[in-house]
Amino acid sequence: MNEMRQMLEDSVERLFGDRLDWETQTRIEEEGFPRALWDEVVDQGIHKVLATEEAGGLDGGWGDAYPVLRACGKHAVPLPVAEAMLAEYLAREAGCSLPEGVPGLLPQVLDADAFESDAVKLDGVRTPWGRHAAYLVGVATGDAGAELVLAAPDGLEVAEEDNIGRDPRDTLTGTARIHARHPLPLPADCVRWLGALARSAQIAGGGVTCLDLAVQYAAEREQFGRPLSAFQAIQHYLADLAGVVASVDSITMAACEAYDQRGMTGATRNARFEIAAAKCRASEAVEKLTRLSHQVHGAIGFTYEYGLHFTTRRLWAWRAEFGGAGEWGEFLGRAACEAGGDGVWPLITG
Amino acid sequence: MSSVADKIRFEPSPLPAELDELRREVRAFLEETLADYPAAVRSHSWEAYDAEFSARLGARGWLGMTLPTEYGGHGRSAFERYVVVEECLVAGAPTAFHWVADRQSGPLLVRYANEAQKKRIIPQIAAGKACFAIGMSEPNSGSDLASLRTRAERTANGWLVNGTKIWTSNAHRANYMIALFRTDPDPNKKHAALSQFLIDLSAVEGVTPRPIKNLAGGRNFNEVSFVDVELPEDALIGTEGQGWKQVTEELAYERSGPERYLSCFFLLRKLIDAVRDKASPATMARLGAQVAWATTLRNMSLSIAAKLNAGEDPALAASVVKDLGCQFEQALPGLAQELCELEPTLDGFGLEYQQVLGNLVQVAPSFSLRGGTPEIMRGIIAKGLGVR
Repeated sequence: MNEMRQMLEDSVERLFGDRLDWETQTRIEEEGFPRALWDEVVDQGIHKVLATEEAGGLDGGWGDAYPVLRACGKHAVPLPVAEAMLAEYLAREAGCSLPEGVPGLLPQVLDADAFESDAVKLDGVRTPWGRHAAYLVGVATGDAGAELVLAAPDGLEVAEEDNIGRDPRDTLTGTARIHARHPLPLPADCVRWLGALARSAQIAGGGVTCLDLAVQYAAEREQFGRPLSAFQAIQHYLADLAGVVASVDSITMAACEAYDQRGMTGATRNARFEIAAAKCRASEAVEKLTRLSHQVHGAIGFTYEYGLHFTTRRLWAWRAEFGGAGEWGEFLGRAACEAGGDGVWPLITG
Repeated sequence: MSSVADKIRFEPSPLPAELDELRREVRAFLEETLADYPAAVRSHSWEAYDAEFSARLGARGWLGMTLPTEYGGHGRSAFERYVVVEECLVAGAPTAFHWVADRQSGPLLVRYANEAQKKRIIPQIAAGKACFAIGMSEPNSGSDLASLRTRAERTANGWLVNGTKIWTSNAHRANYMIALFRTDPDPNKKHAALSQFLIDLSAVEGVTPRPIKNLAGGRNFNEVSFVDVELPEDALIGTEGQGWKQVTEELAYERSGPERYLSCFFLLRKLIDAVRDKASPATMARLGAQVAWATTLRNMSLSIAAKLNAGEDPALAASVVKDLGCQFEQALPGLAQELCELEPTLDGFGLEYQQVLGNLVQVAPSFSLRGGTPEIMRGIIAKGLGVR
């Protein structure tokens, strides 16, 4: 990892590492949005890795965003850092700046042809942290190609709901006033793809916590007069877990690099292949990551009192968000069937 | 806060674009050379023995690629060799004759053999004219390799070897064997009493391979008895008593390559052909998940090639990839039957897919035995995590 990425990872570790202990996570689940912590994220510009330098960002690539997203996953950060990062990226690519405040990132593609005099109709759009959104940001497609749309959430009906990680996933319905539209030189479906990439990175980080806590617990807990880690069955669980963690980390890092180098368009092999592989693998891995970590922890890991669930509940939610293993596997499987038996390997080597 | 996961990371190491040309050349060569090879034979891949094919590969300069030019190697990078190796595996090229020599014996000899041995043998490896066998396991020493008993005793002018090796692939037709023997009878010195030897099988007497037929009828491996075998002084390679360390380095080469996840790739190719016209979205999702796995494992495997190229120790990373790769390739025959429920057949009967399936269903159990079991791999990983 290069120096800048190490520095980024360290700063996220410093911000969340000590702060998000069991008491704090519990209080946030009970009291809702941790405004003070969010303000610190904004002050430090954690979400601005992909923003331009004029916008106070680092003008980095997804390879630089990866350690930040992974660290957020590792600490089960109950804030829309990934969503804000993606919004900043879209703004940079569209050459515009974003309003102040929490972004309401609209995950689905909007139909620009259906806009009515500077207003967009939302027909039940499930939006992360929608209830806290100071503005809405989404991508529309129409005759003019893809565009970045900024809109005001005022007056929308907000059906509040949390995912099983207890992070807000609210459904927005009604008419939102558009206050800016900018041509966006990215494919219209970019939010789904980059959202999937971001969630893969968060899953990679959540996996790290599953492993760390299991290794630590196995060393401390004694049964039959020995620490759990002295038992071969437990050692093998931990080794298996470590391999799965490494595999998600590896393919997601590779997908970030691939996207930085090749983007998502173009006739030659673009990065859609690696992104689909990353989310497919990451989503599929969630089952084993959570099962093995819980198994090593025994009953204590199943209690609210012990904090493993802050991570594992989020992993179960992230598994499906922005598409699960089935959706992304189907993308790859379709490509493989089109390529045929002789063409599948060239597909992988690129 | 540091994490144990930091000890096992696989930084992306994409192949440089200038290797595309080499890949095209290798692909064209394999397509032409293997055109008439039956699919069932090709599915044996690195277990199929074909001296003529190996010599042709050697003539193209594609063996001993990373070995130094001063000894007759080609002085090329680990990545260039990687391209050749993975293309051979995916094409189902019959590589058994040169596989061990090119993968581990060559690098081992460059590091530990004397000048005369290197000058004599490395050119043979690069030409695809030397087949090597690995003398490690014994009838009572499988996973517990360090308990092996075959003795090499010092004599006035060399060594005298007595004992038995087993599961020794190609011992009945190899030119050389590199074997691990006990050189010190002290029972307290388990690992420190082991040493490695180079045996020129055409020049010694008393080495008798007895073929062992595998469950599929194949005759690759052997039990090899050593009865009063006299070896010259310089048969010892490296340092007496350092055999365990040397073997551990050798095993890193044996465990780190793309063959640890690609053994069934030929089946995946045939499966895709068998189902592509009528694949449901659910079937495509299952196939795509295998493609995602293969892509992931390839990235990890390439990262190991980068570690090897940089002179780093890849042993822990290699254990991870071997363990994961084995899970992937061993599950493929079962998945294939789930998605395309045609009976596995013997060579020459049924569709190509059925023959390839028939072969791989039978040989898949060996994937998690050869080169170290998952139990051993996970023990190594657990040690790397600090829990053992």
